[in-house]
Amino acid sequence: MSAIVLRLKDRPAVPLEAEVISPDLLAEMPHADIRAQAVYLGKRRLRLDDLFEVEGERSDQVEVHGDLGQVKWLGRGMSRGSLVVHGNAGMHLGAYMRGGRIEVHGSAGDWLGAEMKNGQIRVQGDAGGQVGAAYRGSLSGMRDGTILIGGSAGLEVGMRMRRGTIVIGGRARDFAGLQMKGGTLVLLGGAEIRAGAWMVRGTIISLQPLTLLPTFTYACRYNPDFLRLYSRFLAPLGIELPVAAQQGSYALYSGDASVPGKGEILVWQPV
Amino acid sequence: MGGKVTCTLGEVKNRADFIVFWGGNPAECHPRHFTKYSLMPKGKHVPNGRKDRTVVLVDIRETKSVKAADIFLQVRPGKDFEVLTILRALIKDQAVDPRQVAETGLTLEQLTDLVARMKRAKFGVMFFGMGLSMTRGKHMNSAALLTLAAEMNAFTKFVAMPMRGHGNVTGADVVMRWQTGYPFGINFSRGYPRYNPGEFSTVDLLVRGDADAALILGADPGATMPQPAIDHLARIPTIVLDPKVTHTSRLARVHITTAVTGISAPGTGYRMDEVPIPLRPALKSPYPTDEEVIRRIHEAVCAKPDWIHANGQYTTNQV
Repeated sequence: MSAIVLRLKDRPAVPLEAEVISPDLLAEMPHADIRAQAVYLGKRRLRLDDLFEVEGERSDQVEVHGDLGQVKWLGRGMSRGSLVVHGNAGMHLGAYMRGGRIEVHGSAGDWLGAEMKNGQIRVQGDAGGQVGAAYRGSLSGMRDGTILIGGSAGLEVGMRMRRGTIVIGGRARDFAGLQMKGGTLVLLGGAEIRAGAWMVRGTIISLQPLTLLPTFTYACRYNPDFLRLYSRFLAPLGIELPVAAQQGSYALYSGDASVPGKGEILVWQPV
Repeated sequence: MGGKVTCTLGEVKNRADFIVFWGGNPAECHPRHFTKYSLMPKGKHVPNGRKDRTVVLVDIRETKSVKAADIFLQVRPGKDFEVLTILRALIKDQAVDPRQVAETGLTLEQLTDLVARMKRAKFGVMFFGMGLSMTRGKHMNSAALLTLAAEMNAFTKFVAMPMRGHGNVTGADVVMRWQTGYPFGINFSRGYPRYNPGEFSTVDLLVRGDADAALILGADPGATMPQPAIDHLARIPTIVLDPKVTHTSRLARVHITTAVTGISAPGTGYRMDEVPIPLRPALKSPYPTDEEVIRRIHEAVCAKPDWIHANGQYTTNQV
């Protein structure tokens, strides 16, 4: 079963909403049907082949090529197969995703993996804001799954996330882990101000010093046992967490007292 | 999370005995606010007027409003969210490190005193201005204040209200809200309203260059928005409806001069507490009203062939 390959002809001038580019939908479809799928360029409904060159059929392996920075909702709600984006991806990539794998060889926009339930998203470049977050007015963000970002990320990463893992390779901007309710947020490159604001539960691990809110209280320095298990889970994904006591230890801060919450922020302190 | 606990200014006048102004300068920006609603007037439950009220001003610098306040709390710039979060912790008797509190520019004693006064009040109001909502943290700063006001209701009656300015912005929010369910940042491109500030809000659309035309009604984004947004407005066909020449009308393709609402055109203005006020024009204007221009544009658009339905397009599953 060879992959379905889509090539974006030109970068659209206004945002293109293409939630049909999802393995679930295209997996059972003959070539002609794939070409006829509806996408929305601004308010105009167009055919998929008006904007993309389409190759292949009946496959849950989907490849998309081109600068898709203006293309929104790729892989929306997908539950199986893989979606590989060669180039940048737009907003809402993998939102409501339930399974499968998304890989982006480029950068992604805001709301990456928003409210996802399972699956894995890997972005080589940077991501926008609200990664794995809850939509406005919604009570919880991602429920499970893994989001790995090589570069930096924007505002409100992991806002109201309930479970699952987000790893940011670079620096995250303000409000990382805002109102977190569970899950784990790993900040390899640290974050700007207000990390963990209003968090109820969940864990933020930072390998760089953080400027915390005054409502977080320093608890102790230690090497938590669960991090050994956690680093074993992250190792196959190519992420290394320092756990050896001779390398250093983690400072534990608990908060956010304003909620009041039982969240924990672990900040790595090398010897 | 979210939600605004609010009331009308009539209630503020008749009941409020504890008033906080956060990040605003009402003495200069809302000069009638003090005398008509918040400070001076004698109300049913505050019979002695100013003497029955405690007024707190929170700002990053001393403004003319300081003289009107009983307590002035000078916060370091960009620390409003921190102070509000500390207050949220303090009202629940949570411990906060005094050294970290000092980084906000205030002492723990000042904030404990404020919390005690807030809890003692019978009816508290928090008015907040652009010093709060337009600094780093933006909507989260407002959310922090609104949440604090909501949580204070565990102890006493407390409400919050934004100090709106710029003509009828409240009216735009209110009308959008009852028509679509959302106040701003709404996208109709799929045939039904979708709300996502950050994605569909005007300034973000323009900064990213997502829009390919703009109709500006009763606003001057050319004077207030960031430069990339203004540059994009100049690139795309922009139509401005405004009684006078503005920064935006100078860079627009089309400027339609309209009558001034409230002076030479009737209409409804919404006060900052969302109470609609009918406006009676005092003068006559040779220019059409905003409403008339929009109605004529709408009629012209309706006369065109219905390409949306002819294209087989209809409302699909909600995204």
